[in-house]
Amino acid sequence: MSTATQARTSRARATMGGVWLVAALELRLRVRSGKWIAALIAFGSLVGIFTLLLAFAVNGQMFGGDDYGVIFGTVVFFVLFMGLLVSPTLTATSINGDRKDGTLAPLQATTLSATTIVLGKLLAAWLASLAFLTVALPFIVIGAVVSHAPFWTAVVTVLVLAFELLVICAIGMGLSASLAGTAASAVLTYLAVATLAVLTLVFFGLGTALSIQPTTTRIYDVSYDYDWAEGEPSIEDCEWREETWEEPHTEYVWWLLAANPFVIVADAAPAEDDFDRNFYDDQTMLGSIKYAVREARLGPAEFQNWCYYNYGDTEALPEELQRAEELQELSAVWPWGIGFHTLLAAGSVLIAIRRVKVPYGKLISGTRVA
Amino acid sequence: MDVVDEPAAADPADAALTATGVRRAFGTVQAVVSADLAIAPGQVTALIGPNGAGKTTLMLMLAGLLAPDAGTITVGGANMRRSPVKARTRVGWMPDTLGTWDSLTCLEVVTTFARAYGIKATDARARAFELLTRFQLAEFASRPARVLSRGQKQRLSLARAIVHDPAVLILDEPASGLDPRARAELRTVLRELAAEGKAILISSHVLAELDEMVDDAVFMFAGSTRGTEASEHLERARRRYSVIGLDAAALQKALAAQTRAWETTEAGAIVEVADAADAAALNAELVAAGVAVAALAPVGSALESTYLSLEGEQR
Repeated sequence: MSTATQARTSRARATMGGVWLVAALELRLRVRSGKWIAALIAFGSLVGIFTLLLAFAVNGQMFGGDDYGVIFGTVVFFVLFMGLLVSPTLTATSINGDRKDGTLAPLQATTLSATTIVLGKLLAAWLASLAFLTVALPFIVIGAVVSHAPFWTAVVTVLVLAFELLVICAIGMGLSASLAGTAASAVLTYLAVATLAVLTLVFFGLGTALSIQPTTTRIYDVSYDYDWAEGEPSIEDCEWREETWEEPHTEYVWWLLAANPFVIVADAAPAEDDFDRNFYDDQTMLGSIKYAVREARLGPAEFQNWCYYNYGDTEALPEELQRAEELQELSAVWPWGIGFHTLLAAGSVLIAIRRVKVPYGKLISGTRVA
Repeated sequence: MDVVDEPAAADPADAALTATGVRRAFGTVQAVVSADLAIAPGQVTALIGPNGAGKTTLMLMLAGLLAPDAGTITVGGANMRRSPVKARTRVGWMPDTLGTWDSLTCLEVVTTFARAYGIKATDARARAFELLTRFQLAEFASRPARVLSRGQKQRLSLARAIVHDPAVLILDEPASGLDPRARAELRTVLRELAAEGKAILISSHVLAELDEMVDDAVFMFAGSTRGTEASEHLERARRRYSVIGLDAAALQKALAAQTRAWETTEAGAIVEVADAADAAALNAELVAAGVAVAALAPVGSALESTYLSLEGEQR
């Protein structure tokens, strides 16, 4: 026994195998119970009831209405909201809780590395949060069908949802490894989620208010000497003039929106919306958010066209076309958001690994090794 | 008690685990000031000291979980600082509690740890079952660990700790909270493991229990291990035999006629013998001299008397 075991032990173990081992242990420890199944059923039921009620509220019927993507978008946001509520519970106490339960130290004493332990725990938590997403998936699909959302929109949305759940799990893991108390790490994880999901919007609003400053805008308007007795003016009867007034400069604070998971989901979802001149008309819900955020990034237009008389058959001004083009060409906001969230998640995981590595150098105050 | 002729692991080269000049502070609290110990293969060594003496801290460092501020720990030639994974593989560590494994079954707990040490899945399961059977836990294999009694939990914890067949076994207070029967079983198991050649370090408060199972002892007071001084003390304590005669006066008269040092007690005398064989010789001499010997046995607990006298010096 002895020599055989030792020979196998000394051989470098596959890290992937270790990660799976820890993940399986974690799932068995935390997940194997009837309560967990009940939680999944409750989660699915809530999303289902929400979806059906919403469909009837918006369309008056299940299918056939033209809801401009409101049902799909709202169901996706609802699932994200619920996911943000559930995910912190999966990791926010996973390391300091195990320390308290006396189940972490024996694992650390084995040949498993800190990286293996942390990644295994993260994988388990992510799989658990993906189970919630899977339960919600049928309703996302129903939402997509009802709202005529393109296939790719639905796919990308689900992938981004999955990514966001991973980010929240990682943040919870970092905090649970850094703080001695399980209550403290749970509160801080929820605070982090609230910061990303809600406070970014609040701070964007406040930042926008602070960004208001006198701005000179070129205005294309009917000239002062136009004789209104001649009837409605045509586009040739208008001219440029400059006006200075207070305007918010969202181009300074747009990045706050980029950190918001809801914005990331909305912006990442491909939209087939026709965004040319019809601002916010004929737009899907997620598409509208996408363009609103991208417009916020561009800041206020340097001109405004007030010469909208007889507008229907006239060409747009070159400036307007250029603005529309800038808006179209403006790079997406979601890569910034996903990049930032990736950094957050990777940072949290690295912190967790450092805190789980043995032999311990400095101990976090208030913790015991075993 | 197995009387040891020479201090265990006197030569560190033979030791399965050695610690030299180990120290560790937590903030301003110096938990371990200076610890030196060497534990030999095939022997059970006790780590004895009052609460807060730094025993658990020292054991955590020996198990590779806590980094010493200074000093070296070597396990079978592997330095704990330089090759921590290699060193950790050679150590089995049993903390004072099993840990809360909730719904995990006994078999799953042991199998998981076998795999965590890199043993293949099928072998791991077989090894886990073998250990559960050995420690009379086979019937609990598929039951959750939380239903076990304290004694069963300690046996499961021990199975978990030796699942990778380590050369060194470090047990932190394994006997605490056990009923007499469970303690006796633990003693048997540890002696068996020692007979297989494992070096075992065990900390405990129940000195009388340790007396019957350990070969050697390391005393620790206020963060420092007490080496040679304690060994001499222990050695002397182990050689003190109490002799009770039916007629105390006749016994004392016979003792006065021989060369061993002795002192009188109410029922007879305490004699310092050279070793167990010498004790037997003493008995024969007394019987030959016509003394009716009612009892001839080691005096009380050698560990306890050593502990008390060392602790007395500490104050």
